[in-house]
Amino acid sequence: MANLVNLIITGLATGAIYALVAIGFTLLWQTSQTINFAQGDFVMLPAFFMLPMLHAGVPYWLAILIGVILSMLILGYGYKKLLVDPIRKHGVLPLAIAGMALSIFMQEGVKNYTAEAHVFPALIPNLDFHIFGAVVSAQSIAVVVVALAVVIALQWLLNKTLVGHQMQATAQNSTVARLLGIPVERMVLYTFLINGALVAIASALVSPLIFAKFSTGNIMGMAAFTAAIVGGFNQVRGAIAGGLLLGVVNNIGSAYISAQYRDAIPLLLLILVILFRPQGLMGRAEERTV
Amino acid sequence: MDTKPILEVKDVVAGYGRMTILNGTTFSVPKGSITTVIGPNGAGKSTVFKTIFGMLAARTGTVTFDGRDVTNWTPRKLLEAGICYVPQGRNIFPELSVRTNIQLGAIAAGKNITDMPDRIERGLDRFPALRRKANQQAGTLSGGEQKQLEVVRGLLLDPRLILIDEPSIGLSPMMVTETFAILTELRGKGVSTLMIEQNARSALEMSDYGIVLELGQTRIFDTAQNVLNDPRVAQLFLGGTTN
Ligand SMILES: Nc1ncnc2c1ncn2[C@@H]1O[C@H](COP(=O)(O)OP(=O)(O)OP(=O)(O)O)[C@@H](O)[C@H]1O
Ligand SMILES: [Mg+2]
Repeated sequence: MANLVNLIITGLATGAIYALVAIGFTLLWQTSQTINFAQGDFVMLPAFFMLPMLHAGVPYWLAILIGVILSMLILGYGYKKLLVDPIRKHGVLPLAIAGMALSIFMQEGVKNYTAEAHVFPALIPNLDFHIFGAVVSAQSIAVVVVALAVVIALQWLLNKTLVGHQMQATAQNSTVARLLGIPVERMVLYTFLINGALVAIASALVSPLIFAKFSTGNIMGMAAFTAAIVGGFNQVRGAIAGGLLLGVVNNIGSAYISAQYRDAIPLLLLILVILFRPQGLMGRAEERTV
Repeated sequence: MDTKPILEVKDVVAGYGRMTILNGTTFSVPKGSITTVIGPNGAGKSTVFKTIFGMLAARTGTVTFDGRDVTNWTPRKLLEAGICYVPQGRNIFPELSVRTNIQLGAIAAGKNITDMPDRIERGLDRFPALRRKANQQAGTLSGGEQKQLEVVRGLLLDPRLILIDEPSIGLSPMMVTETFAILTELRGKGVSTLMIEQNARSALEMSDYGIVLELGQTRIFDTAQNVLNDPRVAQLFLGGTTN
């Protein structure tokens, strides 16, 4: 029982990170029909923006902040201007393929630079403490708290501000948004910048747990994709639920069933959801408008 | 009535891709009038509106609004200039609240209008259903209520010209009467309307002028009364012949 509590909490921690990545993935899809097949590698890369700074003695929070800003510029603005905008007009499929190419390019690029797994400093020292007889890692709690803060800030932006409403309007019906004079292109850009920030924060949170390595994108990408589908694909709160569920199921499954099949668990969850609830946990069946 | 036109469409050519739908379309809307466009399906009625409102490029020709050349202006600039457009079909953001949907109608005004919150509340008061469901997701409204939302949203910036495409589709007869009454009320305040309607008879009965559009060309432009009495129109659009 004590063990189960810990498994759930560490699962929620990884799940919260998946959720951040899945939210970004979902936002790009909603506003610009971009399926970012390099999303996992987008999580891998910012750690390598931050590590050199950390090694050079830049304070932790400053290094993270600069990493987030760089990520917004390169993986947000740059990705949109250099890859998505020129290719998007040719359709969703060419863009998806370009994303796969970008994924390979990013992995090989980082591998050429360094193929090793690098230790990445954690948010807080790794202390364990006890609640109700269970051992809980403080690091996991800290990850959940940070991810939660980010999600709350994002929800506030989307639901309580005029810019957020315009972003949602763009996602729900870009033609009508344009008719009302909403600067649709700028709203789309904002979602790319937000995605750039989300993947960088996820990178800083996940790298202490799994090291910074050129290939971490494979796991993160699969997890984000699964979380987004499980959650209903076109919904931010679905991505959150999907991410958390995946994190917990993954952890419990590998502890109680088999660690060897750990990587198969997301796929299993994906198949179950597609079979029994194709619209996702939170999604509604697509509504067609004229 | 001042019959100087509020809107003039002259020799407009436009279409989709390589397809040309409007081939020199020409007509005008007298200031302060309600003018109704009728015509068969696929005549290019909606295409005219999209072209006027900057959603589709006019390849040649001009659109003049209140004496100003507004050809190929962006929707945002046209909204600022005083035109509003309520397109055919459903044009709402289903997962945002009814109130937020209406608020988004004010984006083009920026911060220029200070009494916007009041205007939004007054807009909601126009239709009891909107007031009652102000905080619900707009997707939960009935088709007719969604149309009412679009009308309220369009009126937020006090337009001088309303472009409204088939407002009666999906509306109950009572809702149609209500919507037409609003347009008539606004005409009393000098607001002009250009309306597309399938429901030709009742639309023409409340209109000042009628336009018959066929294959992207103006076939008839006359007072609504004369259009109603025109035997060609009666045969084609009003269901049965006169005399
Ligand atoms: N987005 C589009 N892409 C390509 N062709 C289009 C598009 N919209 C309309 N058309 C074509 O343009 C022609 C005119 O369409 P339009 O919608 O203007 O007709 P309409 O007079 O409004 O008809 P209705 O009474 O059915 O609303 C039609 O042949 C239609 O198939
Ligand atoms: Mg039409």
